[in-house]
Amino acid sequence: MARMVVDPITRIEGHLRIEAVVENGTIMDAYSAGTMVRGFEKILKGRDPRDAWAFTERACGVCTTVHALASVRTVEDALGISVPKNAELIRNLMFCTQYVQDHVVHFYHLHALDWVDVVSSLSADPQKTAQIATSISSWPKSSPKYFAAVQDKLKAFVASGQLGIFANGYWGNPSYKLPPEVNLLAVTHYLEALEWQKEIVKIHTIFGGKNPHPNYLVGGVPCSINTDEVNAINMDRLNYVGSLINGAIAFVEQVYIPDLMAIAGFYKDWAAIGGGLKNYLAYGDLPTRGYGQPDYFKFARGAILDRNLNEVYPVNGRDSQEIKEYIEHSWYSYSSGEASGLHPFDGETEFNYTGPKPPYEQLNVEGKYSWLKTPRWKDHAMEVGPLARLLVSYAKGSTEVKDVVNEALGRLGVPITALFSTLGRTAARGLETRLVAHWMKDFYDELMAQIKTGELSTFTRDRWEPSTWPATAQGVGLTEAPRGALAHWIKIKDGKIDNYQLVVPSTWNASPRDPKGQRSAYEASLIGTHLANPEQPLEILRTIHSFDPCIACAVHLYDPEGKHIHQIKFE
Amino acid sequence: MTESAGHLLVLGIGNVLMGDEGVGVHVVRHLEQLDVPPGVELLDGGTGSFLLLDPMQRARKVILIDATLDGNPAGTVRRLTPRFSRDYPRTLTAHDIGLKDLLDTFYLLDHPMNVVLFAISIAPLQGIGMVLSPEIEARVAEFAQLVLREVESASRPDPQENGLESLASAQDDSR
Repeated sequence: MARMVVDPITRIEGHLRIEAVVENGTIMDAYSAGTMVRGFEKILKGRDPRDAWAFTERACGVCTTVHALASVRTVEDALGISVPKNAELIRNLMFCTQYVQDHVVHFYHLHALDWVDVVSSLSADPQKTAQIATSISSWPKSSPKYFAAVQDKLKAFVASGQLGIFANGYWGNPSYKLPPEVNLLAVTHYLEALEWQKEIVKIHTIFGGKNPHPNYLVGGVPCSINTDEVNAINMDRLNYVGSLINGAIAFVEQVYIPDLMAIAGFYKDWAAIGGGLKNYLAYGDLPTRGYGQPDYFKFARGAILDRNLNEVYPVNGRDSQEIKEYIEHSWYSYSSGEASGLHPFDGETEFNYTGPKPPYEQLNVEGKYSWLKTPRWKDHAMEVGPLARLLVSYAKGSTEVKDVVNEALGRLGVPITALFSTLGRTAARGLETRLVAHWMKDFYDELMAQIKTGELSTFTRDRWEPSTWPATAQGVGLTEAPRGALAHWIKIKDGKIDNYQLVVPSTWNASPRDPKGQRSAYEASLIGTHLANPEQPLEILRTIHSFDPCIACAVHLYDPEGKHIHQIKFE
Repeated sequence: MTESAGHLLVLGIGNVLMGDEGVGVHVVRHLEQLDVPPGVELLDGGTGSFLLLDPMQRARKVILIDATLDGNPAGTVRRLTPRFSRDYPRTLTAHDIGLKDLLDTFYLLDHPMNVVLFAISIAPLQGIGMVLSPEIEARVAEFAQLVLREVESASRPDPQENGLESLASAQDDSR
């Protein structure tokens, strides 16, 4: 059987390698390997818990804010701190900002070119593109002249051959199904989205002081509200935030969602491809009555097994029998043995690299083959991410979520089971962006109402001083990164960090097999997928990118004897 | 956010959790302790990819400092003027793709970027940790001086640097 290796997977953040066993053009088995060592846990031991957020923020260049949020929540959970209402609202605004920016960038800049053929757009009729654009959206930039000008610009880029993003595609692959006019529309919005995404993240700078590494604070948020003060969150800044939110709603409603629906309409076959696991996990987020009351989160918390939407199981991050990490196929060792699973409170991070010296052709997938540990919920392999979030909220009966999901399913004329797929994952990301953009406005309005009543508090000093802490404490900070369920666990001893563990979303999705041989989400999702052209693993990229991987990556292809037949490098 | 349109951006890139990989950020932190001429913004860019588009675009010129795995002895510094992603030297970590892509992105946005890159060679397979290796640590002040010299020469007007070609631009006139 042919082993196809995709290393690195491009247009993702981090390092990821996929090895796929291919027979007659169909993927029979797959292995996902994180090729970059992690080990922030070692850096944090012995430090002040109140500083941990600033270190975890560096875990990822994209998800800086969510790691900071998980970290301050972990410490607050351990010490029993509840943040003021304004701090909850501002944290929610930061959270929503990241979602909207990150999901738009993912759709247009990291994922769209798996579905959109740039070269085909060069032969589009701009007049027809304008007709399509105005038929699906009221977005003003839609004249034939505008699309013609963009097309001329694209021709220059493609002809120059100098821009990597346009030079390294599988253009012309028969799996591309969009008419040239829709391709032109999507590429045009690729360019518009680049400009737009720069604006929305200014909200991070306003509330967090700086970007790309905004400030967080145990006990609240580090900004003070004073409507007349130049250096505080004043009226000018608040009004600016309001206008950025309105701009985000307009872009999502008039550009992202119409494009997503238009593109999805041509790829309905992908509603039956790439489903993979049948279990979904969401920690939930966006509290409205405090972090301690998950029943009032906008995104619900829970687990779904075997795609049964009639039952949602409760999830408890503190229960040592629920979440465990395994290392049988990961380059770590546990003092309790290879096959044991450890709850993150008792997690260990001892490196044990047994792999080949890079560069190598193939990993030994019978043994250890990844730097990612393998997390399990009650020993089930779980998918996390936008699809898991929407399914859990849907199954728990959230009216807002149900309305948005049902409307989209109705427009595409597909049943809810269509969500269990590559297309479903990509659609879920867009639909939750729509929800989040509007929730953001609600949080903003609520913050303004608080300020009008004179409630300006953003921080509580309760238990700030280590002298008020118990000798030992432990806590868990659960959140939802754009890519899925994210949690930090802390043990505090004598005012210092005694143990700190992170379980990130891509660990759930991209991890290697567990000791029972159960595959995680990436590996499971690739099985059965047919490749139109085995030299071009476009279909692998579609499914892997639908998860929005946050570990960077490669494609290697192997023939039936395991001989390396092809490696695609992306510069 | 108050710099004028003509300011210089000194941008340190890298992950400070990964030893020498974060040398670019260490150099920027060192510069923060020195007298830097007015009109120069120092930014710890981390591995920020698309989040760096705006600060870079607002600058007249960007001086990047980044670690590279180009096979040269650790501590080798090369001054490069990458124009496209393919001109960018090989790096190891998560910012491999994001930052390279940004260089191309400036062309897409009709804003070709005037970039000087100080690429500092590091040894492969760095351990996790926040401290630099002794051979890189000993050179941080020297790297900072190189950057300062670049800042000074960039502060002098140079007519040739305004000659970057711009690819055809698309204007929306539908409104």
